[in-house]
Amino acid sequence: MDFPEGLKYTHEHEWIRDEGGDIYTVGITEHAAEQLGDVTYVELPEPGMVLDQGQAAGAVESVKAASDIYAPISGHVSEVNQELDRRPELVNASPYNDGWFFKIAEGNLREYDKLMDCKEYARFVEDQGV
Amino acid sequence: MRQTPLLDEHKALGGKVIDFSGWALPVQFAGILQEHTHTRSSASIFDCSHMGEFRIKGREAIEAYDALITTDTGRIRPGRARYGALLTGDGGYIDDLITMRLGGDELFVVTNAGSLDRVAAVFASQVPGLVDESAETAKIDIQGPLSREILVSIGLTAAAALSYFGLTQAEWSGYPVLLSRTGYTGELGYELYLPNAAAVPLWRRLLDHPAVAPAGLGARDTLRLEMGYLLSGQDIDGSRTPLEARQDAFIDWNKPFTGREALEKQRDAGGYSVLTPIWTDSRSAPRHGFDVYRGDETVGVVTSGTYGPSVERGIGLAYLSPELAEPGVTLTAGPRRIAIEVTEIPFYGAGTCRN
Repeated sequence: MDFPEGLKYTHEHEWIRDEGGDIYTVGITEHAAEQLGDVTYVELPEPGMVLDQGQAAGAVESVKAASDIYAPISGHVSEVNQELDRRPELVNASPYNDGWFFKIAEGNLREYDKLMDCKEYARFVEDQGV
Repeated sequence: MRQTPLLDEHKALGGKVIDFSGWALPVQFAGILQEHTHTRSSASIFDCSHMGEFRIKGREAIEAYDALITTDTGRIRPGRARYGALLTGDGGYIDDLITMRLGGDELFVVTNAGSLDRVAAVFASQVPGLVDESAETAKIDIQGPLSREILVSIGLTAAAALSYFGLTQAEWSGYPVLLSRTGYTGELGYELYLPNAAAVPLWRRLLDHPAVAPAGLGARDTLRLEMGYLLSGQDIDGSRTPLEARQDAFIDWNKPFTGREALEKQRDAGGYSVLTPIWTDSRSAPRHGFDVYRGDETVGVVTSGTYGPSVERGIGLAYLSPELAEPGVTLTAGPRRIAIEVTEIPFYGAGTCRN
């Protein structure tokens, strides 16, 4: 499986993209979506919520599993993808675009820089052997 | 892992194969939601060849079997099936099972894969002449409102005459097929027992029908849970009795069975936890292993939980104290304390199984 370049990745199988203007978009990777299977429910953080890196910021559920979503970097929630309330299947269909979860404003750039790039994440997935 | 005769078929169809009770079986093909919906609206086929099958012949053997299980086999007429259980002396489940009467002095018993070794050991030591046919028997389930016409279209015309929980011995392409109008989905459907050699040709013949799609264990689980059917080894096991599982309707008290005394004691004492249907008012679902809370107090545990695709909300089964097992009681469950409400089964009321 290929992972898009220009994004950063976490060990929790989330991606984060620097949109410029101090805004970062967060979602889960295609690998994570595939492991979950059909996504049926996404719980998103409240806009304005202040996040510390690694803090639980929501949850994603599929028919067969449920897992938490974590903040990849510190910052505060500037926007959430409300379309996922109605169409959680977007997470499977378009994990890097229409299936985004939330946006972080005033994100911690130093934390962002330390996250994995696509090659490191691909190796991480491979090492996990799943 | 043990393999069914259909494993290569599943792989060729893109099935995602997992370990289920030591068996390599497909959890999904096109996706659980799609397979679930297809079963409710059309017809799906499931490979259930991992299940156990036993043949019991003769009056003496039938009496010995009858003395073990909760079902009164005398109430099962030829060509009919009944659901029941095999218990330990303490009243806990070894397994739930279906007993079919093929003829006046012949029974066919279907059990689950998870506790097959244990069930087989009990039967072998207690039922004279019992034959374990599990290894040489394949099982294909066809479930969905179009099942009847599909079976008729491939020459299994006997399906048309079967009523719910009826069965008959038929023939397909020279192979003997035991056909029962039973299932685990709530839809009109049939379970087909056949020799291993017939599994691939029959599976392929069924898939040739444009209305048929393969379905895996994932959809099987969401379909059964929407009906409130139990999963052996998960909702019921050695630590739970049929009274706790609220299966009183399948205990025939007019005869002896293993565990009867323990159940009588429990029935008379009362106060035991009972398996209770719960649901959410969102798409968020309770999950297997979630604790159930009233305020901060733990009052039960979820044994099965999923998103119910046809009811479009989270559904589950939980063991709860009897005073909480009343429809309308509201509680919370799991680490995120999702709101749940006690309800009634079936969660999904529009199944076609009795049509």
